[in-house]
Amino acid sequence: MNLVLEILGDLLGLIFALFCLGMMIIFLASGRKRPIQSIREIPAFNRFRHEVGLAVESGKRLHISLGRGRLDDQPGGAALAGITMMERCARAASISDRPPVVSSGDGVVSILSQDTLRATYHNIGADRRYDPTSGRLAGATPLSYTAGAMSIIHDEAISTNVMAGHFGGEVGLLTEAGDRSGSLTVAGSDSLPAQAVLYAGTEEPLIGEELYAGGAYLGAGPLHFASLRMQDVLRWLLAAVIVGGALLRLLGVLPK
Amino acid sequence: MKTILSAANAVIAIASGLLVLLGYFLPNIFGGLRDQMLLWAIFLAAFALLVGVFNLAGTHLKKVTTRQRGAGYSIVLLISMLLTLALVGIDLAGGENGPAGFWSLWLFKNIQMPIEISLIAVLAIVLVIMAARLLGRRPNTFSIIFLLTVVIVLLGSVPLYHFGSSAPLTTLRGLAVNLLAVGGMRGLLLGVALGTIATGLRVLMGADRPYGG
Repeated sequence: MNLVLEILGDLLGLIFALFCLGMMIIFLASGRKRPIQSIREIPAFNRFRHEVGLAVESGKRLHISLGRGRLDDQPGGAALAGITMMERCARAASISDRPPVVSSGDGVVSILSQDTLRATYHNIGADRRYDPTSGRLAGATPLSYTAGAMSIIHDEAISTNVMAGHFGGEVGLLTEAGDRSGSLTVAGSDSLPAQAVLYAGTEEPLIGEELYAGGAYLGAGPLHFASLRMQDVLRWLLAAVIVGGALLRLLGVLPK
Repeated sequence: MKTILSAANAVIAIASGLLVLLGYFLPNIFGGLRDQMLLWAIFLAAFALLVGVFNLAGTHLKKVTTRQRGAGYSIVLLISMLLTLALVGIDLAGGENGPAGFWSLWLFKNIQMPIEISLIAVLAIVLVIMAARLLGRRPNTFSIIFLLTVVIVLLGSVPLYHFGSSAPLTTLRGLAVNLLAVGGMRGLLLGVALGTIATGLRVLMGADRPYGG
């Protein structure tokens, strides 16, 4: 009996993943019929686009911080979302005199950031702009990463910091460094302590799942819109299940 | 050639991702393969860290040779890096386990730990300043609620000087921490989980190619 329940539990996970995949494909197909898709406004992304333009005009640099999350762990999702935003940044700032600098706290994420930068410059025909030192491992522990990223913010004429990835409360030191050097910080994280610090410490925080919506808001492709709609539908479904479960328990239908 | 390579990258990445995912859902069939692939991933991650350290050294060496701003700090970093390597090397030559050897632990206890503790102390001050600046930065109702909650939780967590612990404050703190914060946290975590699923699926579908494909 236990074995059957275990297998059923495993299959439920697979069914859920396939359900999500199916929804994304359906929304992708239906989205192609509607070329203009409206999404709610997130001020951080509007400000971000504006600041990227200003950075290019003023010859200053963008700093994209991918956090200290490891790719082979749960925070890897936030780092991947950050890499998508980084790719859009590099594309938007490709005509700037100073290419964006990317910092991370994990060896694998650091290599992926270099590879993505190289592929982005290649795709837009600007191979010569790629500099291997613009994708850096700033430090291997949380605080050494923070110290390494702080020196980038202070020393490299940064006009805008985009922090997208996994951070802890120490992200406060990075936002403070941004404030002191007079640069704007747009930041989001998957960690709740970091989100609380970012809410208090940045002008444009990305709260909750807003970090993962970056691709859709920065024009990374129709599948990003489809995944955003999938997330919206699932959020409502989950909310309904939670409220329904609470009501059923209150009425005594479900055991306590 | 470049296109073929990029397509091959995508095929390998998607196939590996699918096999690891299936290993979690169907451990009896794909579990062994998943474990083997994760073992390879751990080896690759260790090499990636080494490559990252060389890249870091290269970046700072370039800063020093081109005399960029902050080059002095880069010299300190490079010297520290070489000294650390030398000391761990001495430990290894002495037959001790590298990172757990005498000199490695001495470095950790007497240099790295005090510096990191100092940074945490600075962080505490920075967070207080940040909270004080919040109303100037974003003067709205949510900021007021945020700051009020911080004050209530702080005052309700420790006994007050001269007065001891205050029952109303402790009750309010309990309400904020155990009821309101838990509800909010669950909402945020559900959003993060859904975002992570969407990101993972996009990589599996080959739409996001962080491997430069």
